[in-house]
Amino acid sequence: MEAVLSVEELHKAYRTRLGGPRRQALSGLSFTVPRNSVVGLLGPNGAGKTTTLKCVMGLVRPDAGKVSLFGRDGDAVEARRRVGFLPEQPYFDLYLTPRKLLHYYGRLSGMGASSARSRISYLLNLVGMEDDADLTMDKFSKGMLQRIGLAQALLAEPELLILDEPSSGLDPLGKLEMRDVLKSLGTGGTTILLSSHQLSEIEEICDRVIIIHRGREVASGRLDELLEEKGDCEVLLAEPAPGATSGLPSSASWAEDSGGKRLTVSREELSAALTALIESGASIAEVRSRRLSLEEFFVRRIGKTGWEVEE
Amino acid sequence: MTAVAAFAWSVLQDALHRKVFYAILAFSLLLMLLIPMLPSASVGVQVDLLREAALGLTSIMAFLLAVIMASTIIPGELGRRTLYNTLSRPVRRWQYYLGKFIGIMAVVAIALLVSLVVLLILVGAKFGTFNPGLAKAIFTIFLEAMVLASVAMLASVYLSPLVCILLAGLFYVACHVKGDFLYRAMTDSTNHALLRGLSGFLYYILPNLERMNINETIAHSERVFRVGAGELVLLSAIALVFSAIFIALGAYLFERRDL
Repeated sequence: MEAVLSVEELHKAYRTRLGGPRRQALSGLSFTVPRNSVVGLLGPNGAGKTTTLKCVMGLVRPDAGKVSLFGRDGDAVEARRRVGFLPEQPYFDLYLTPRKLLHYYGRLSGMGASSARSRISYLLNLVGMEDDADLTMDKFSKGMLQRIGLAQALLAEPELLILDEPSSGLDPLGKLEMRDVLKSLGTGGTTILLSSHQLSEIEEICDRVIIIHRGREVASGRLDELLEEKGDCEVLLAEPAPGATSGLPSSASWAEDSGGKRLTVSREELSAALTALIESGASIAEVRSRRLSLEEFFVRRIGKTGWEVEE
Repeated sequence: MTAVAAFAWSVLQDALHRKVFYAILAFSLLLMLLIPMLPSASVGVQVDLLREAALGLTSIMAFLLAVIMASTIIPGELGRRTLYNTLSRPVRRWQYYLGKFIGIMAVVAIALLVSLVVLLILVGAKFGTFNPGLAKAIFTIFLEAMVLASVAMLASVYLSPLVCILLAGLFYVACHVKGDFLYRAMTDSTNHALLRGLSGFLYYILPNLERMNINETIAHSERVFRVGAGELVLLSAIALVFSAIFIALGAYLFERRDL
């Protein structure tokens, strides 16, 4: 699959103060974002997510490594014309109105006045800000500014949309609307790279994830493949069976959630477990490969590593 | 050039929304209007006194505007993080840098034009004379403000606004004393070799801004020395060359700066 964004062996260290130690933010990070995918960039605080996105957008110069956008150097203006970016907590000149701000960004993006006008009206409508389009932004809430941030990122109809914590500051309804917009953009063919702490948001929107920690990739791939627990199976009962616990193999364990009571068992002992359940009179609704939640997967991958400071 | 023009326009728009722009301009104009109330010398020199004091005030106003704006734009946009939205667009950083500089000079030009009009009206109303020659002094004030702004903006790529303003102030002083103080320090054999070397270095690399100060000449109706077109072209060339050097250096550093 063609990669619209390719990051190779990216290194970046920051000096926290003059003469102080250098903190390694990125340590040889590599990944690709395939066309038409919605990719979540995950990692704990300080993992290097924002630095990665800033390197991609040319806001930070990597110490080593390479960023390619659409097969060109990441700094190329022609490549960046095809990218939309929403920084974490976007800030604007608040004396401007959303419409004037978007016209300014439209000029910087090389848009003509008439095409910008119609595009801006469409986007203000899309993010639910058409009624406030001609008010100065100094009285806007964080959520309203975030919506304007999304509108500016979408202004030049980008093929690749890069979002840093897009739901930050939004109320629950705003978060839902943001997810709907992103899902519809993803379905419409826009490639999205999304950094977020909200694992549920990533799980709902993204089809791929890249997990980074201490500036390195620790896992990446299709979400459904990563979350599939290859060694284990789950057995779902149609209705509770009181005697179903006897005779189960040693690897079997029960769990209960909103979906009902589930038995987790290793693939090798699945036949023995099914036999025991049927003999105890249990009614089996479904047998499937066990799937981790993204949170479980994330904790498993991140829980093994520590911090790194380069003197 | 669309991006450069858009950046320049954004500075103009921003300045017109800031109270500090109007405050500096209004304070300067108010002081200008108060000059006729100064205890005057002989009647014959009143008009010269008015012109000289008004041009001095205008110089201070223009230099303050230029240096304050040039010192605060980049650190301000970095602090507010508005740069992220701007520079993630298909624009070059040098376009941003140059556009902002042009915008600053456009604001200074507007302020100077307003001052010129007020001064012409004031001199005309008080003494019944029309002094188009004042425009020459206003033009050289603009040139000097341009050099100062380019220095302050270069410093602002890495330094805080206050440090930039102080550096621009030091630069201003050094460039005005170079012809006298620095030259003497460089040529006086009784001085320490290091002092002579440093003075000589500064003497040869700094522009002579005192040469751009034609306020006194213009205030006295160019009776002693006439400022011709050739002199203005030369001063423009000096200001443009030095500003271009500082802008190129600033844009180069800004290109490499992490945001």
